[in-house]
Amino acid sequence: MIALIRTEFTKAASRTRSLVIALLLIGLPTLIVVAINARQDRPRRDNGEGLFRLASQSGLLVPAAVLSATSGFLLIVIAGTLAGDSVASDASWGNLRYVLMRPVSRVRLLLSKAFVAGVLIWAATILVTLAALVAGLILFGAHDVTVPGIGGLVGGFNLSGGALALRVLIATGYVAFGFSALLAIGTLFSTITDTAASAIGATVGVYIVSEILDSISQLGQVRYAFPTHYFDAWETMFTDNTYSREMVVGIVVQVAYVVVVGAAAVALFNRKDIRS
Amino acid sequence: MSDVIVEVEGVSKRFGEVNAVDDFSFSVERGQVYGLLGPNGAGKSTTLRMIMGLERPNHGVARLFGSPVTPSCSQLARVGAIVEQAAFVPHLSGMRNLRLWWTAGGAHMRDADLEHALAIADLGDAIHRKVKTYSQGMKQRLGFARLLLGRPELLVLDEPTNGLDPGEIREIRELIGRLTHQGATVLLSSHHLSEVEQVCSHALVMNHGRLVTSGTVSDLVGTTKSVYIEVDDRAAAHALLSRMPIVSNVQSQGDGLVMVMGDGRRSDVADALFHAGIRVETLMATQRLEDAFLDLLAAGDGAGDEPVAAQVPS
Repeated sequence: MIALIRTEFTKAASRTRSLVIALLLIGLPTLIVVAINARQDRPRRDNGEGLFRLASQSGLLVPAAVLSATSGFLLIVIAGTLAGDSVASDASWGNLRYVLMRPVSRVRLLLSKAFVAGVLIWAATILVTLAALVAGLILFGAHDVTVPGIGGLVGGFNLSGGALALRVLIATGYVAFGFSALLAIGTLFSTITDTAASAIGATVGVYIVSEILDSISQLGQVRYAFPTHYFDAWETMFTDNTYSREMVVGIVVQVAYVVVVGAAAVALFNRKDIRS
Repeated sequence: MSDVIVEVEGVSKRFGEVNAVDDFSFSVERGQVYGLLGPNGAGKSTTLRMIMGLERPNHGVARLFGSPVTPSCSQLARVGAIVEQAAFVPHLSGMRNLRLWWTAGGAHMRDADLEHALAIADLGDAIHRKVKTYSQGMKQRLGFARLLLGRPELLVLDEPTNGLDPGEIREIRELIGRLTHQGATVLLSSHHLSEVEQVCSHALVMNHGRLVTSGTVSDLVGTTKSVYIEVDDRAAAHALLSRMPIVSNVQSQGDGLVMVMGDGRRSDVADALFHAGIRVETLMATQRLEDAFLDLLAAGDGAGDEPVAAQVPS
């Protein structure tokens, strides 16, 4: 299994695409921080929304703002690319049949590919957080943050540097773990098609559809089962000073997707005729 | 003890409404160089994929070294294969591909026959270039290097010269020739009949997923109906043969005669000539495998769904 993981990691990490993604994940947070810095000189009411409005108070809060901005689309596309590509890229190169013409267990191969994709998704999330943190600390320094109340009806609160650091750590882990369902779905699609672009497109498409449907409140409790429903539950740590119960539910939903969809992917791949 | 390396027994494979392989059986013994002949769509590649555990038969069983083939079965370690075209991770070098492929299964590089494999591939410094810069011929040679890493007892080669230019085809054929002379058991699928004729000791013909005939290559050629003879008295032989009911269309050709055999054997002709006092210098089937192949396929198509030829004894 370790040899398979090493092989899969080499194949995935040595692609030019991986370098481009890494540069994007470093460059984009830097641009966002520069933009936040430019806006803080403007009149207060034109200082952005939510976490972005607060981010200029401390570089420790910048990663939260950047995670909020990137987890809704950019990280979904990157995670979808890594997951959807896992099996389908080998198939599209025609290399999958050669891997499987050795005494290599299909289940182990699939788990190795999914594991490597998962590690790279975590690495991408951590990288975007670190890039934002470094850029934020350089421009804004490390300070406590005061979150104002709403219209004087709800009290504001302070977040110390230590609390911010801890919550950024938790947020990063939650966001990265929040892609577990996407990883399972991408791996499933990757076993179905031999075209990497199709698998990636289908994976990202499922998430975009999930986000659209999730925004339709008339769907009621059905939305609770969508993989993106609890995606932003971590933001209350910074906006409401609470560890939302929804974070726990979100983790449970992700685990459920991994178990059900992952099992389907394993069963499908194990029985699949390899024709590519 | 029978040393059967490959055994396919009553195997069928359907894709939707299409019967790709239908109740197909054959076996390959150790040391044989076995050709799998058939037109495109005959079911050759599907058969080889089932032998390599890539596809599951709907019915029947494929065995390697006496044990049923399942995906990832241990016997695959004793087989080296090229199925359709050799394929690799394009953004890695040839050498990196070889190493990753070998170690992915948990094996150590020290156990691989890397030196021999690289000598066979003969890629020189190009082995360190990215595979996406290779020509198809170079990829095929690298494919041979990969399949030889494990010192396989059986080589499964599916259309190994497909898509290559004439120079590359010649290189690959010479390579297969060297490997067979080293004693490898080979199962070679091809629709290049001259390739099978040059390389193989045995062959089978399949069409529409079914066995048409099988046997030694010389037997297959021998089942054809055109016969060439050289005799000491050509005029007498022409007169005699023209009267024989099992012979038709006797014509002069070069120093001898060519005729078409009906229901009878070449030995019947030899006997008749001998008893007429005519000395026979040469008597041989004149068709090459290509003619035999086309005759067999035409006969097979004419016979509907039933196999048309009995198994030719090897």
